[in-house]
Amino acid sequence: MPRLGIDLVDLEGYVCCPAFGTFPSLDEDAHLAVSAWNLSLGEDKGVDLLVECGSCYSSLRLGRALLARDEGRRERVNVLLAKAGKHYEGKAKPRHIIDVLYHEVGVDRIRESLESTLAGTHAALQHPCHTLYPSEVVGFEESPAAPRVLGELVRALGADVREYSREHHCCGGAGGFRHSSHAEAYRYTRKKLDAIRNETDADYIVVSCITCLMHLDEAQKELSGNNGDRPIPVFDYSQLLALCMGFSPGEVAAISTVSRDRVTERFAAV
Amino acid sequence: MTALSEANLDLWRDLEGGDVLRICLTCGSCVSDCPASEADPPLLIRTLLRMVELGLEDNLLEEDTPWSCVTCSRCEEVCPMDVRPFEICLALRRWQCRNDSTRIPLSTTEIYQRGYTQPVDRVEELRRSVGLSGKLPVITADPELLAKFQAMLMEIDVIRDHDFMFKG
Repeated sequence: MPRLGIDLVDLEGYVCCPAFGTFPSLDEDAHLAVSAWNLSLGEDKGVDLLVECGSCYSSLRLGRALLARDEGRRERVNVLLAKAGKHYEGKAKPRHIIDVLYHEVGVDRIRESLESTLAGTHAALQHPCHTLYPSEVVGFEESPAAPRVLGELVRALGADVREYSREHHCCGGAGGFRHSSHAEAYRYTRKKLDAIRNETDADYIVVSCITCLMHLDEAQKELSGNNGDRPIPVFDYSQLLALCMGFSPGEVAAISTVSRDRVTERFAAV
Repeated sequence: MTALSEANLDLWRDLEGGDVLRICLTCGSCVSDCPASEADPPLLIRTLLRMVELGLEDNLLEEDTPWSCVTCSRCEEVCPMDVRPFEICLALRRWQCRNDSTRIPLSTTEIYQRGYTQPVDRVEELRRSVGLSGKLPVITADPELLAKFQAMLMEIDVIRDHDFMFKG
């Protein structure tokens, strides 16, 4: 990010965002106090929060929206925060990484930063739901029904984007679905992976959410087993960007279940 | 089943955001694009909202399906009446926790104890293997701050009432 003109500072004393299955499922004041805790860390440093994980992003945005909607909530949360010597005003904004890359850095600067490209490769997209809905709370696309940002960013790396029928569906890996109904959740994911395999010649899937990344990657092991399905490597957008900027695969794309060698070998030689 | 004559018609008042349920058209858009509507049993958020309106407390206390939500919030986008079904799904989980402490997510006790559900302070080796610094500046790096965080959470009724779970 520094090479793209975005300076990053670590926030000290950060806690879980909170994930929706935790305090937001227990108590509203606890939920908002934890959201405000994290947001206040950015506010104190005068910075916005850069987030990659879809549900961290959505949780922080919803927390901020709920606090903005109701002064009573803000007052209660500040009474709680005062116990820890903290205060919340709502100045720091959570921003998703593809929003920042597209709207702040821009595709031109991204193109200029590349040492190699993905020209000649085909990508299937997994749009992060948590950056689309509800658009009034989390949105940065012109239309959440026709998101363009991730595709534009992938094209900036030289790849061709392949559309498929279940492109706008959830990955199936978030929240309680995968835990409460394992077989059904994997069947849901299978439909997406089958659509990518049957309808496209995609060499890889591009996501921008840690849950999509882990789930689409790990689910292939369980779903494909021995039945010969074509494995499709999964990358977070920032991994592909870093590879094209000249970082080594061992540094930025080492951890995965489905082998990424077919894609990363083109960078090893650079 | 609950006889409607015994239903708690004020149930919607117990749910944050519950007042908007009165304008729900029951059109079912919320369910139509819901990934967890394919769960078994299915999460049928429209049905749950109707159960709140009808005051079917006993049935709702037994419902596990609010916990199957993937949190994608498609339902909020498509709802023509801005009922915010996802937020009500969370409110329903909170109402269950208030009335049945076995519903309290254990993950909240993990965050209380160490700031995170994921063991982020235990991945130093993995981080170093890909060239990242080992230590993260998360809350466990500052025990004094963690104690303040815990004291803040202890001010909340449902946490203080179940402090034996949180203090571990």
